[in-house]
Amino acid sequence: MKKISLFCLVAVLTGSLLLGAVYYGSIIEKVSLAVPVDAGDRSYLGIKQDTGQIGLADIDADIVIIEIFNMYCPHCQRHAPTANKLYQIIETDKRTQGRVKLIGIGVGNSPYEVKLFKKKYTVPFPLFDDPNSAVLNKLTGIKTPSFFGIRKKGKAAEAFFMEQGPHDDADAFLRKVIQQSGLSL
Amino acid sequence: MIHRSVYTLMVLGLVVCAGLPVAAASDVLHEGVYQVGTLKPVDSTLRVKVGDRAPEFTLRAVSGGTISLKDYIGKKNIMISFVPAAWTPVCSDQWPGYNLAREEFEQSDTMVIGISVDNIPTLYAWTKTMGTLWFPVLSDFWPHGRTAEAYGVLRSDGTTERAIFIIDKQGIIRYIDVHDINSRPPLEGIITELEKMKR
Repeated sequence: MKKISLFCLVAVLTGSLLLGAVYYGSIIEKVSLAVPVDAGDRSYLGIKQDTGQIGLADIDADIVIIEIFNMYCPHCQRHAPTANKLYQIIETDKRTQGRVKLIGIGVGNSPYEVKLFKKKYTVPFPLFDDPNSAVLNKLTGIKTPSFFGIRKKGKAAEAFFMEQGPHDDADAFLRKVIQQSGLSL
Repeated sequence: MIHRSVYTLMVLGLVVCAGLPVAAASDVLHEGVYQVGTLKPVDSTLRVKVGDRAPEFTLRAVSGGTISLKDYIGKKNIMISFVPAAWTPVCSDQWPGYNLAREEFEQSDTMVIGISVDNIPTLYAWTKTMGTLWFPVLSDFWPHGRTAEAYGVLRSDGTTERAIFIIDKQGIIRYIDVHDINSRPPLEGIITELEKMKR
């Protein structure tokens, strides 16, 4: 009976984690972002025309890794060099370059605040602001930084990965995301 | 019978879990932060206005000793940032933002002074989670909230407003923002006001 109880507890906890991921993932999948002003960012994302807004499925990649951050959050500030390293690893490996892309969304942050964060940490990948807290309000309760993995499903985006809290090893993190995506390199 | 129990528990688990994301929506943003819910936006009456001489104060600093407003008069512009309470939402990520914007404050020759009505040990533990703050954090704990009261930002529950006072080198108040306690004053608004001090 003890074994059965333990099994049930594990099932409950696993279920809660999965459903939590799906809950937040279903929000992330529908996120609409302003087309970046910076031409380099547009080129990186494969956005050829300024359509005003883009969905995650419009980004030219097999996998998009999204960092949910907040410029004011000390954990996000401390994590910035690791996120930059993740970008460098992706871009220097020909198997991932162009297929895996990294973006950040500064939840509850104004354009000025996101720009300041980008400047202070020399962030090489596109960062988006969320001045009206549109994303933040929907993701209330989520810890920053948090990370999502998105892949294309037809013309839509599908969340397959979510992790809350910072990580130390960018290489291991990338391997984990790729493994969960099912992408063969 | 056992099979039925397992099935029942798993269904129950899924039902409970289905509600979890909603529960998670009210979860903590950072470890140790106490959720206060939505508060009355402003709960005090200002006792100073733009153009007034800023009330003098001498308060204990988290770094040790005391710091007075007069220590900076004639040397630096000052931005006083009153925050309601340690270990609460919004407050816990307001000063780390000022940490990141150090260069912007220094460009306008401004020193930030953080003030809260919490005692020194509480402020010490709390500010340690923010990394190394470049500006002093002062305790207005005892006599409780005397400085906040002098500025007119002490709330009826003994906490303070989330308020910004920008004071020029002559000690004159140049800008006041008694902000909605539930939200953070946008950084660009502060920097824009500081830019005016350069003129």
